[in-house]
Amino acid sequence: MTDEELMRAVCNGDQSAYQAIVRQHLKSISHYAYRMLGNKKDTEDICQETFLKLWVNAAKWQPEKAKLSTWLHTIARNLCVDYLRRHARTLTLANLESETEAKLQHQVDLVERDTAHDQSTQLEQAILALPENQRSALMLCHFSGFSNKEAAAIMNVSVKALESAIARAKRTLRKTLSKI
Amino acid sequence: MMNFDKFEKLLNVHGADSRSWPSELRRSCTELLDSSRQVRALLASHQLLEKRLNQLPVPELASLEATVMHQPLPARSLSPMDRLLDWLAPTEGFTLRLWRPTIAACLPLVFGIVLGNYYSFGVMVEPSELEFWEDELAMLSLDDYSENNF
Repeated sequence: MTDEELMRAVCNGDQSAYQAIVRQHLKSISHYAYRMLGNKKDTEDICQETFLKLWVNAAKWQPEKAKLSTWLHTIARNLCVDYLRRHARTLTLANLESETEAKLQHQVDLVERDTAHDQSTQLEQAILALPENQRSALMLCHFSGFSNKEAAAIMNVSVKALESAIARAKRTLRKTLSKI
Repeated sequence: MMNFDKFEKLLNVHGADSRSWPSELRRSCTELLDSSRQVRALLASHQLLEKRLNQLPVPELASLEATVMHQPLPARSLSPMDRLLDWLAPTEGFTLRLWRPTIAACLPLVFGIVLGNYYSFGVMVEPSELEFWEDELAMLSLDDYSENNF
């Protein structure tokens, strides 16, 4: 079944069509969210929320305007940005409890991995330290395989702005790599 | 003419794999790479970054698929207008199989009505004939049937 047929079925309340879409797109969405947020727990929450939004807003998807994967990544990206904003506000309110919890979760995630991948860990930390727009641009183009035009559409910026964000992200990461 | 800045931009936009560079620029890039050590170092650092990015571990989220698939979804409630539209113009299901042949069968009928409404096809109806029929009906109503022998 094509994306359009699946989405039409989702609009009519067909849960098996919903499950087929989840099977098809979850991996890409979860990888993107993980790279954006850096921990499993929040990644899972974002993924659940993304597909819940797909179910609720299925009728709003316009196949002539964007591919389903582009639309889903736009939802996931908006949720990640909201999460990061909320998270930043929480920090300014000095609610350190959740921050400690998130950090702890992140540490657990890091320790779970092979310590031999030290360079990767440092690179991951450098990626997480990038501004959201640079990180998002890099993740969408490098990992998710979107073209610059598609990634710009997901981020709601011009292609030039996206390319500039990628350039800055790569420059920062190359500097980090040269220090490792 | 390719230079360092243009080449750096090309690496940022198209990546470090020369196969993904625009074919019309590939030759000038190769010439620049042959002529400058600085450019070669830039390419090497981009290649290293891409290699490291590709080696980043992928998270294990084994239970996530089941969680997302079976999360409680809100029930869909169609408005009466949506239900009416679905009934009138179904997009799927058994009714769609009947609906399309019905529409196909009705099309010549509609076409005929429209055509007949606009074209007379040589059949002329005089307005005075219609008036005559009214008079005829009036005379029939006044006729005396008592003399008729059945």
